[in-house]
Amino acid sequence: MTIDPDVLAAIAGMSVATYVCRAGGFWAMGLVPLTPRVTIWLESIPIAVLSAILAPAVAQASPPEVAGFAAAFLAMRVSGNDFVGAISGVAAVGVARSVLGSGP
Amino acid sequence: MSGGGVPFTVAGLRAGAAGVAALAASVFAYGIAFGVLADQHGLDMMTTLLMSGTVYAGSAQIVALQVWTTPVPLLAVWVSTLAINARYLLMSAALRPWFGRLDRLSAYGSLFVMADGNWALAMRECAAGRTDAAYLLGGGLIMYASWVTATALGHGLGQFISAPRRFGLDFMLAAFCTTMAVTMWRGRTDVWPMAAAAVVALASEHFFPGYWHILIGALLGSAVGAWRHDHRP
Repeated sequence: MTIDPDVLAAIAGMSVATYVCRAGGFWAMGLVPLTPRVTIWLESIPIAVLSAILAPAVAQASPPEVAGFAAAFLAMRVSGNDFVGAISGVAAVGVARSVLGSGP
Repeated sequence: MSGGGVPFTVAGLRAGAAGVAALAASVFAYGIAFGVLADQHGLDMMTTLLMSGTVYAGSAQIVALQVWTTPVPLLAVWVSTLAINARYLLMSAALRPWFGRLDRLSAYGSLFVMADGNWALAMRECAAGRTDAAYLLGGGLIMYASWVTATALGHGLGQFISAPRRFGLDFMLAAFCTTMAVTMWRGRTDVWPMAAAAVVALASEHFFPGYWHILIGALLGSAVGAWRHDHRP
Protein backbone atom coordinates (compact mmCIF):
# COMPACT_ATOMS: atom_id res chain seq x y z
CA MET A 1 0.00 0.00 0.00
CA THR A 2 1.43 3.35 -1.01
CA ILE A 3 0.38 6.93 -0.35
CA ASP A 4 0.56 9.68 -3.00
CA PRO A 5 3.42 12.15 -2.45
CA ASP A 6 1.01 15.10 -2.39
CA VAL A 7 -1.20 13.37 0.20
CA LEU A 8 1.89 12.68 2.28
CA ALA A 9 3.00 16.32 1.92
CA ALA A 10 -0.46 17.55 2.93
CA ILE A 11 -0.49 15.42 6.09
CA ALA A 12 3.12 16.22 6.98
CA GLY A 13 2.41 19.95 6.62
CA MET A 14 -0.72 19.64 8.75
CA SER A 15 1.14 17.85 11.52
CA VAL A 16 3.99 20.38 11.50
CA ALA A 17 1.53 23.32 11.52
CA THR A 18 -0.36 21.79 14.44
CA TYR A 19 2.74 21.06 16.50
CA VAL A 20 4.13 24.55 15.83
CA CYS A 21 0.93 25.94 17.40
CA ARG A 22 1.07 23.47 20.31
CA ALA A 23 4.70 24.17 21.15
CA GLY A 24 5.12 27.71 19.78
CA GLY A 25 3.43 29.66 22.57
CA PHE A 26 5.34 27.75 25.21
CA TRP A 27 8.62 28.24 23.35
CA ALA A 28 8.05 31.96 22.75
CA MET A 29 7.28 32.65 26.41
CA GLY A 30 10.66 31.14 27.23
CA LEU A 31 12.28 34.13 25.52
CA VAL A 32 10.39 36.63 27.69
CA PRO A 33 11.21 37.23 31.35
CA LEU A 34 8.32 36.02 33.51
CA THR A 35 7.66 39.27 35.35
CA PRO A 36 4.68 39.46 37.74
CA ARG A 37 2.71 41.26 35.05
CA VAL A 38 3.40 38.55 32.44
CA THR A 39 2.52 35.86 35.00
CA ILE A 40 -0.79 37.58 35.81
CA TRP A 41 -1.52 37.73 32.09
CA LEU A 42 -0.75 34.02 31.63
CA GLU A 43 -2.90 33.18 34.66
CA SER A 44 -5.84 35.05 33.12
CA ILE A 45 -5.69 32.97 29.93
CA PRO A 46 -7.63 29.85 31.08
CA ILE A 47 -10.79 31.65 32.17
CA ALA A 48 -10.60 33.86 29.06
CA VAL A 49 -10.28 30.80 26.78
CA LEU A 50 -13.26 29.10 28.46
CA SER A 51 -15.29 32.29 28.16
CA ALA A 52 -14.37 32.75 24.48
CA ILE A 53 -15.34 29.13 23.70
CA LEU A 54 -18.61 29.35 25.63
CA ALA A 55 -19.92 32.80 24.63
CA PRO A 56 -20.93 31.98 21.03
CA ALA A 57 -22.14 28.52 22.07
CA VAL A 58 -24.40 30.04 24.73
CA ALA A 59 -25.53 32.88 22.45
CA GLN A 60 -26.57 30.46 19.69
CA ALA A 61 -27.86 27.66 21.91
CA SER A 62 -30.98 25.82 20.78
CA PRO A 63 -33.54 25.01 23.52
CA PRO A 64 -32.02 21.53 24.19
CA GLU A 65 -28.59 23.12 24.55
CA VAL A 66 -29.91 25.75 26.94
CA ALA A 67 -31.18 22.84 29.05
CA GLY A 68 -27.73 21.25 28.73
CA PHE A 69 -25.90 24.37 29.96
CA ALA A 70 -28.31 24.73 32.87
CA ALA A 71 -28.00 21.05 33.81
CA ALA A 72 -24.18 21.12 33.63
CA PHE A 73 -24.02 24.30 35.71
CA LEU A 74 -26.43 23.09 38.39
CA ALA A 75 -24.99 19.56 38.60
CA MET A 76 -21.52 21.05 38.97
CA ARG A 77 -22.63 23.43 41.75
CA VAL A 78 -24.33 20.57 43.60
CA SER A 79 -21.81 17.76 43.07
CA GLY A 80 -18.53 19.64 42.58
CA ASN A 81 -17.54 16.87 40.17
CA ASP A 82 -16.76 17.47 36.45
CA PHE A 83 -17.78 14.03 35.38
CA VAL A 84 -21.21 14.34 37.01
CA GLY A 85 -21.59 17.90 35.70
CA ALA A 86 -20.62 17.14 32.10
CA ILE A 87 -22.61 13.90 31.87
CA SER A 88 -25.67 15.70 33.27
CA GLY A 89 -25.32 18.38 30.58
CA VAL A 90 -24.93 15.81 27.80
CA ALA A 91 -27.83 13.71 29.11
CA ALA A 92 -30.07 16.78 29.30
CA VAL A 93 -29.27 17.64 25.65
CA GLY A 94 -29.87 14.05 24.54
CA VAL A 95 -33.21 13.81 26.35
CA ALA A 96 -34.36 17.29 25.31
CA ARG A 97 -33.54 16.60 21.65
CA SER A 98 -35.51 13.38 21.66
CA VAL A 99 -38.47 15.03 23.43
CA LEU A 100 -38.45 18.20 21.32
CA GLY A 101 -37.57 16.30 18.18
CA SER A 102 -34.88 18.75 17.07
CA GLY A 103 -32.32 16.02 16.44
CA PRO A 104 -31.19 14.51 13.15
CA MET B 1 12.15 12.53 35.42
CA SER B 2 11.68 15.82 37.27
CA GLY B 3 13.37 19.19 37.12
CA GLY B 4 13.35 22.41 39.10
CA GLY B 5 10.88 21.22 41.71
CA VAL B 6 8.02 20.33 39.36
CA PRO B 7 7.11 16.66 39.74
CA PHE B 8 6.46 14.48 36.69
CA THR B 9 5.31 11.14 38.05
CA VAL B 10 3.30 8.03 37.23
CA ALA B 11 0.78 9.13 39.86
CA GLY B 12 0.30 12.39 37.95
CA LEU B 13 -0.08 10.46 34.71
CA ARG B 14 -2.81 8.33 36.30
CA ALA B 15 -4.61 11.34 37.77
CA GLY B 16 -4.63 13.01 34.35
CA ALA B 17 -5.93 9.86 32.68
CA ALA B 18 -8.75 9.57 35.24
CA GLY B 19 -9.62 13.26 34.80
CA VAL B 20 -10.44 12.94 31.09
CA ALA B 21 -12.67 9.82 31.33
CA ALA B 22 -15.86 11.59 30.21
CA LEU B 23 -14.04 13.72 27.65
CA ALA B 24 -12.48 10.63 26.10
CA ALA B 25 -15.99 9.33 25.39
CA SER B 26 -16.80 12.41 23.35
CA VAL B 27 -13.39 12.31 21.61
CA PHE B 28 -14.25 8.72 20.68
CA ALA B 29 -17.62 9.74 19.23
CA TYR B 30 -15.98 12.61 17.34
CA GLY B 31 -13.27 10.25 16.06
CA ILE B 32 -15.89 7.90 14.66
CA ALA B 33 -17.53 10.83 12.90
CA PHE B 34 -14.16 11.80 11.39
CA GLY B 35 -13.48 8.22 10.28
CA VAL B 36 -16.84 8.06 8.51
CA LEU B 37 -16.23 11.41 6.78
CA ALA B 38 -12.72 10.44 5.73
CA ASP B 39 -14.09 7.25 4.17
CA GLN B 40 -16.78 9.26 2.35
CA HIS B 41 -14.10 11.64 1.03
CA GLY B 42 -12.15 8.75 -0.42
CA LEU B 43 -9.24 8.58 2.03
CA ASP B 44 -8.08 5.01 2.55
CA MET B 45 -7.61 3.50 6.01
CA MET B 46 -3.83 4.02 6.05
CA THR B 47 -4.04 7.69 5.05
CA THR B 48 -6.79 8.32 7.58
CA LEU B 49 -4.81 6.72 10.40
CA LEU B 50 -1.65 8.55 9.39
CA MET B 51 -3.51 11.85 9.60
CA SER B 52 -5.15 11.11 12.95
CA GLY B 53 -1.93 9.77 14.42
CA THR B 54 0.38 12.60 13.36
CA VAL B 55 -1.94 15.65 13.28
CA TYR B 56 -4.30 14.74 16.15
CA ALA B 57 -6.53 17.82 15.81
CA GLY B 58 -10.17 16.97 15.17
CA SER B 59 -11.52 20.26 13.89
CA ALA B 60 -8.53 20.89 11.62
CA GLN B 61 -8.80 17.39 10.15
CA ILE B 62 -12.53 17.73 9.44
CA VAL B 63 -12.01 21.12 7.80
CA ALA B 64 -9.14 19.70 5.71
CA LEU B 65 -11.58 17.09 4.37
CA GLN B 66 -13.87 19.87 3.14
CA VAL B 67 -11.18 21.12 0.74
CA TRP B 68 -9.66 17.69 0.03
CA THR B 69 -9.55 17.01 -3.73
CA THR B 70 -7.09 15.30 -6.07
CA PRO B 71 -4.46 16.70 -6.22
CA VAL B 72 -4.65 18.00 -2.67
CA PRO B 73 -4.64 21.85 -2.44
CA LEU B 74 -1.64 21.96 -0.12
CA LEU B 75 -1.69 25.65 0.76
CA ALA B 76 -5.42 25.66 1.60
CA VAL B 77 -5.02 22.59 3.81
CA TRP B 78 -1.97 23.97 5.64
CA VAL B 79 -3.33 27.48 6.15
CA SER B 80 -6.69 26.26 7.43
CA THR B 81 -4.88 23.92 9.84
CA LEU B 82 -2.79 26.82 11.18
CA ALA B 83 -5.84 29.05 11.52
CA ILE B 84 -7.88 26.49 13.41
CA ASN B 85 -5.06 25.56 15.76
CA ALA B 86 -3.76 29.09 16.40
CA ARG B 87 -5.56 29.05 19.77
CA TYR B 88 -3.02 26.44 20.92
CA LEU B 89 -0.34 29.17 20.81
CA LEU B 90 -2.02 31.02 23.64
CA MET B 91 -2.83 27.85 25.58
CA SER B 92 0.74 26.60 25.49
CA ALA B 93 2.02 30.08 26.43
CA ALA B 94 -0.01 29.78 29.62
CA LEU B 95 1.87 26.57 30.48
CA ARG B 96 5.25 28.36 30.51
CA PRO B 97 5.59 29.19 34.23
CA TRP B 98 4.74 25.56 35.08
CA PHE B 99 6.23 23.46 32.26
CA GLY B 100 9.24 25.75 31.89
CA ARG B 101 10.69 24.04 34.96
CA LEU B 102 10.54 20.59 33.34
CA ASP B 103 13.21 18.98 31.20
CA ARG B 104 12.73 19.62 27.47
CA LEU B 105 11.67 16.10 26.55
CA SER B 106 8.87 16.00 29.14
CA ALA B 107 7.68 19.49 28.24
CA TYR B 108 7.79 19.28 24.44
CA GLY B 109 6.64 15.65 24.44
CA SER B 110 3.59 16.49 26.55
CA LEU B 111 2.73 19.40 24.25
CA PHE B 112 2.19 17.00 21.35
CA VAL B 113 -0.98 15.69 23.05
CA MET B 114 -2.19 19.05 24.39
CA ALA B 115 -5.84 19.58 23.42
CA ASP B 116 -8.58 21.86 24.76
CA GLY B 117 -9.91 19.41 27.35
CA ASN B 118 -6.76 18.10 29.01
CA TRP B 119 -5.19 21.58 28.90
CA ALA B 120 -8.11 23.19 30.76
CA LEU B 121 -8.14 20.37 33.33
CA ALA B 122 -4.37 20.64 33.83
CA MET B 123 -4.49 24.43 34.27
CA ARG B 124 -7.09 24.02 36.98
CA GLU B 125 -5.06 21.26 38.62
CA CYS B 126 -2.02 23.56 38.74
CA ALA B 127 -4.06 26.50 40.05
CA ALA B 128 -5.30 24.23 42.87
CA GLY B 129 -1.68 23.61 43.88
CA ARG B 130 -1.40 20.10 42.43
CA THR B 131 1.62 20.68 40.21
CA ASP B 132 2.43 17.19 38.92
CA ALA B 133 3.08 18.08 35.27
CA ALA B 134 2.45 14.54 34.01
CA TYR B 135 -1.26 15.31 34.45
CA LEU B 136 -1.44 16.87 30.95
CA LEU B 137 0.29 13.91 29.31
CA GLY B 138 -1.85 11.35 31.20
CA GLY B 139 -5.06 12.90 29.93
CA GLY B 140 -3.58 13.53 26.50
CA LEU B 141 -2.52 9.93 25.95
CA ILE B 142 -6.01 8.61 26.75
CA MET B 143 -7.61 11.16 24.41
CA TYR B 144 -5.03 10.45 21.70
CA ALA B 145 -5.64 6.69 21.93
CA SER B 146 -9.41 7.28 21.80
CA TRP B 147 -9.05 9.51 18.74
CA VAL B 148 -6.87 7.14 16.73
CA THR B 149 -8.87 4.01 17.67
CA ALA B 150 -12.21 5.67 16.93
CA THR B 151 -10.93 6.97 13.60
CA ALA B 152 -10.10 3.44 12.52
CA LEU B 153 -13.44 2.16 13.80
CA GLY B 154 -15.38 4.92 12.06
CA HIS B 155 -13.52 4.35 8.80
CA GLY B 156 -14.08 0.60 8.97
CA LEU B 157 -17.69 0.31 10.00
CA GLY B 158 -18.96 3.86 10.28
CA GLN B 159 -22.18 3.31 8.41
CA PHE B 160 -23.39 0.93 11.12
CA ILE B 161 -22.85 3.36 13.98
CA SER B 162 -25.62 5.83 14.75
CA ALA B 163 -24.90 9.56 14.91
CA PRO B 164 -23.33 10.73 18.20
CA ARG B 165 -25.54 13.80 18.01
CA ARG B 166 -28.52 11.68 18.99
CA PHE B 167 -27.05 11.10 22.43
CA GLY B 168 -25.96 14.69 22.92
CA LEU B 169 -22.27 13.68 22.81
CA ASP B 170 -21.45 16.63 20.55
CA PHE B 171 -22.30 18.79 23.59
CA MET B 172 -19.58 17.25 25.79
CA LEU B 173 -16.90 19.93 25.28
CA ALA B 174 -19.40 22.74 25.93
CA ALA B 175 -20.62 20.92 29.06
CA PHE B 176 -17.04 20.46 30.26
CA CYS B 177 -16.17 24.10 29.66
CA THR B 178 -19.22 25.03 31.75
CA THR B 179 -18.22 22.82 34.69
CA MET B 180 -14.63 24.07 34.52
CA ALA B 181 -15.68 27.71 34.41
CA VAL B 182 -17.67 27.02 37.59
CA THR B 183 -14.64 25.68 39.47
CA MET B 184 -11.97 27.95 37.95
CA TRP B 185 -13.91 31.06 38.89
CA ARG B 186 -11.59 32.98 41.25
CA GLY B 187 -14.14 35.64 42.13
CA ARG B 188 -14.29 39.31 41.22
CA THR B 189 -10.84 39.37 39.53
CA ASP B 190 -12.32 37.19 36.79
CA VAL B 191 -15.38 39.30 35.96
CA TRP B 192 -13.55 41.65 33.57
CA PRO B 193 -11.38 39.17 31.68
CA MET B 194 -14.36 36.84 31.30
CA ALA B 195 -16.74 39.56 30.14
CA ALA B 196 -14.16 41.02 27.74
CA ALA B 197 -13.37 37.58 26.30
CA ALA B 198 -17.08 36.84 25.80
CA VAL B 199 -17.90 40.16 24.11
CA VAL B 200 -14.82 40.09 21.86
CA ALA B 201 -15.40 36.43 20.96
CA LEU B 202 -19.01 37.16 19.98
CA ALA B 203 -17.97 40.18 17.90
CA SER B 204 -15.07 38.46 16.15
CA GLU B 205 -17.13 35.33 15.48
CA HIS B 206 -19.45 37.61 13.54
CA PHE B 207 -16.63 38.79 11.26
CA PHE B 208 -14.22 35.85 11.08
CA PRO B 209 -15.73 32.38 10.69
CA GLY B 210 -13.93 29.37 12.13
CA TYR B 211 -12.04 29.33 15.39
CA TRP B 212 -10.49 32.80 15.40
CA HIS B 213 -12.95 33.96 18.04
CA ILE B 214 -11.29 31.73 20.67
CA LEU B 215 -7.83 33.18 20.03
CA ILE B 216 -8.96 36.81 19.65
CA GLY B 217 -11.40 36.68 22.59
CA ALA B 218 -8.94 34.95 24.90
CA LEU B 219 -6.07 37.27 23.92
CA LEU B 220 -8.04 40.43 24.68
CA GLY B 221 -9.78 38.95 27.71
CA SER B 222 -6.50 37.90 29.34
CA ALA B 223 -4.92 41.26 28.44
CA VAL B 224 -7.78 42.96 30.29
CA GLY B 225 -7.04 40.68 33.25
CA ALA B 226 -3.40 41.77 33.32
CA TRP B 227 -4.30 45.44 32.80
CA ARG B 228 -6.85 45.44 35.62
CA HIS B 229 -4.23 43.93 37.90
CA ASP B 230 -1.75 46.69 37.05
CA HIS B 231 -4.29 49.40 37.84
CA ARG B 232 -5.44 48.03 41.13
CA PRO B 233 -4.93 50.51 44.00
